[in-house]
Amino acid sequence: MTDDNHIIPLIRENTEKGFRLLMAKYKEPVYWHIRRLVVSHADAQDATQDTFLRIFRSFSQYSGEGSFKAWIFRIATNEALRLLGRNQGKATLSLDESPQVTLTMKADEYFDYGNTEAIKLQKAITALPAKQQLAFNLRYYDDLSYKEIAVVTGSTEATVKANYHFAKEKIIKYMNSNDT
Amino acid sequence: MEQNYDFSKIGKQMPYTVPDGFFDKLEENVMKECAPTKPRVIRMAIRAALAIAACIALFLVVKKVLPQGQDTASDDFENVELAFNNLSTDDQDYLLEVYQEELLLDNDLNDLNNEESI
Repeated sequence: MTDDNHIIPLIRENTEKGFRLLMAKYKEPVYWHIRRLVVSHADAQDATQDTFLRIFRSFSQYSGEGSFKAWIFRIATNEALRLLGRNQGKATLSLDESPQVTLTMKADEYFDYGNTEAIKLQKAITALPAKQQLAFNLRYYDDLSYKEIAVVTGSTEATVKANYHFAKEKIIKYMNSNDT
Repeated sequence: MEQNYDFSKIGKQMPYTVPDGFFDKLEENVMKECAPTKPRVIRMAIRAALAIAACIALFLVVKKVLPQGQDTASDDFENVELAFNNLSTDDQDYLLEVYQEELLLDNDLNDLNNEESI
């Protein structure tokens, strides 16, 4: 996998080549991150496309300090929240609000109904408040550090750790319950 | 209630899937949206259409001003000059501007053709 320290200067020298490398590395993680938040494939596709266009147009605003991965995931998260907000008739969704995504209702044809354990885990995750969802998803699926997650969510490392802990407790409780 | 759950049982599996070839198409769509050449070509096409319209307008003005049977090759230039002088200052400025843009456009198109041939 190409290192971000190689991608960043390449985008400055040769935008198209550098951006292709960026997409090769991040298109799947960004899509799956958004998909876990918005659930529907069509919504995730739109938000992912908007994310990369925004990255392309605002790349000059990336200072070069701090994690590039966190900067990308912050943009992706904002696009997902904007889309969820639009679906609720708002400009965007605040991290203090619940995304209110119901897994079964929003599921589409790109959904594996046979994988019951995975469905149950996603149900547990989507039932969490947005901050806890983000802390859990970014740590569990994307291997971001607490410091990077704090950049994505605009909070502190201590808050992220607490949110991750609460999220994990709730998920374990749900997974051990008889609910499906 | 048991307070443990073995996450390794499920790992990073998710119930979500994507259509075949989705990520390749996504990349192409984004790269297409980011391409800077498209708006430039559209701008040039609009300028070309304006330049052609201006040339037609100038031709019609010349034909109207000239008496029948007098448009011989020898005094064509004088007739164009006469027609041009009969135009308002605004129209004259507009035609001069379009004429200059047309010259620039020719250069742009030549540059573009050269770029494409490379």
